[in-house]
Amino acid sequence: MTTTSHPGRHASADDPRVLLDDEIGVFGTVPPYPPRTEREAEFYTLGDGQMFLNMGPQHPSTHGVLRIVLKLDGEKVVDLDPVLGYLHRGVEKLCENADYHQVISQVDPLEYVSSLFCEWSPVMAFEKLLDVDVPRRAEYIRVLSGELNRIASHALFMGWFALDLGGLTPILWSFIERDEIVEMLAALTGQRMLFNYFRIGGVNGDLNHDFMSRLGDWMSRATGQIEANLTLLNQNEIFVRRARGLGVVDTETALAMCMTGPNLRATGSPFDVRRAHPYSIYPELDFDIPTRTEGDSLARYLLRMEEIKQSLRIIDQCLHQMPDGPIMAKLPRLLRPRPGRAYAAIEGPRGQYATYAISDGTDQPFRMRIHDPSFVHLQSVGLLMRGDLIADCMAIMASLDPVMGGVDK
Amino acid sequence: MAMNDDPEPAGVAAREGRARIGSTALVVPGTSGVTAPIVVKNDLWTSAAGTAYNGGTDSGLAHLAEVAASDVSRRDDARWSGLLEVIPTKADVVLDLLRANSLWPLLSGLACCAIEMMSAATSKNDMDRWGMFPFRASPRQADVLIVAGTLTTKMAGPLVRLWEQMPEPKWCVAMGDCTCSGGRYKRSYSTIEGIDRVMPVDVYIPGCPPRPEGLIYGMMKLQQIVKDRRGHWPERAIGPTVPPGV
Repeated sequence: MTTTSHPGRHASADDPRVLLDDEIGVFGTVPPYPPRTEREAEFYTLGDGQMFLNMGPQHPSTHGVLRIVLKLDGEKVVDLDPVLGYLHRGVEKLCENADYHQVISQVDPLEYVSSLFCEWSPVMAFEKLLDVDVPRRAEYIRVLSGELNRIASHALFMGWFALDLGGLTPILWSFIERDEIVEMLAALTGQRMLFNYFRIGGVNGDLNHDFMSRLGDWMSRATGQIEANLTLLNQNEIFVRRARGLGVVDTETALAMCMTGPNLRATGSPFDVRRAHPYSIYPELDFDIPTRTEGDSLARYLLRMEEIKQSLRIIDQCLHQMPDGPIMAKLPRLLRPRPGRAYAAIEGPRGQYATYAISDGTDQPFRMRIHDPSFVHLQSVGLLMRGDLIADCMAIMASLDPVMGGVDK
Repeated sequence: MAMNDDPEPAGVAAREGRARIGSTALVVPGTSGVTAPIVVKNDLWTSAAGTAYNGGTDSGLAHLAEVAASDVSRRDDARWSGLLEVIPTKADVVLDLLRANSLWPLLSGLACCAIEMMSAATSKNDMDRWGMFPFRASPRQADVLIVAGTLTTKMAGPLVRLWEQMPEPKWCVAMGDCTCSGGRYKRSYSTIEGIDRVMPVDVYIPGCPPRPEGLIYGMMKLQQIVKDRRGHWPERAIGPTVPPGV
């Protein structure tokens, strides 16, 4: 095979070569074109005794369709090259061609395990553009449902992390919690996963009996249940010794790599958007920002489990302080914000999730840039995995908790 | 199957050097009477880089079509052969029962639907109760491909490759709106509007994403298809299934 065509050139689905290219073109490890950068030239030159291993895009533990080209020396990872874009759905472009309400349904599947946060940040940006005051009850409902979603996401993280370290049982337990939470969110929003619940100026539906009774049931035993789940791993010697000291990162490096969220807080820096740049009703709520100092995979895991407990505290306070009132601000059907720019950042389960929206005065955003923490965290895998074993590779990646929908957008 | 109808597969044309030399090869598949590729000359544009698109020369990409055109891969693993072919056939019924009740899906989640697929496999909705076995990580061990999530143009090649790596008999389940028709990403520039554009599909499960119960219902429908010998697979070409003209 002598082709030198660039795989990215196959832009159209109607081009049959996009489906069945030759081995080198799409499926090979080494790209079929000459190296374009010094970094590429350096990476794709094998040293003595080294070999390439292609992992993905279909791989059970790459958390979606990520492809990683590993450069190995024996069992040790010398270098790696992540190949992205296997789930690129063109969301930002679709948002430019949708009106402001439709954007919510387009951004929903970005981080599909925590969809509410994907809606929250664009909705907040649009509210800034439109200068809307969101009713307090709507803000409380947003925080309540958002924290529930955060728990569901962290519960899944626990299962995946253990799965990538070789334990099958925890994922069965974490899916029990996750299923209960998404079922109660389905009672509230109508959907189990891609909720499409937040609206510009409020939320779509008020709290209902089904949701509240499910939530009450669950809250009465959530703490004990989650503690029981945690003993599966926290007291598991194999797990703890395996995860400790894996993928260590210090605060300076983490900040240099733009890490946010639990991955940054596990290094000791107490940066949380909910406290650093308060939004919604978080200033009125009493909760801690847990931090750890180790910065390894175990710290990232333990920190997320600590966040589950803080989320439970927030949910408890929301339920006690929930005010009466409307759940939607009075807005016209067709939204035409004044020309301008708005930026809104929130603290998602993975870190700072932000939207930068530009309005040109029409009913569609002129440009919408989505800043996704998964994508940012993925850039540090090369730093963290280098020098580790193949088996630890996926564990480190799982501890960063990327979701490929958010990475590729 | 379409391959068999086509009197002159494109692989032959490619080997003879008539097609796709500095051009785009378009083949109208099936019974349209077009027996040779329609070669559309590219006289509209030239690439800025002289070496791009291989300098306009034959890229020799037709290796799978060549394999399909030769008889090497036309082994029939799925059906009885030889003398057994003419024994009609309580044995077939038994075999289909076995197949239907131990469906081994491939563990290949693409996007959101994969989470609900995992949810269907874990404790609360335990798919294993109906003989839909836990997921296999290797296509060589799987016989159902549950395409769960948006299929993008970049992922289409690897997914088709996975489908071809699975041994016959095999079935394909399209889970979610994105795989059925494009769903909410139909208008995107980078998605494939329905996986039936690139591979045969036996069961479509709508929903964005479908509930785990929906997936289980779809898999039960698939079991019925297997038992009834409906669906694509009895008449499907064995071996690499290459769209004609590729």
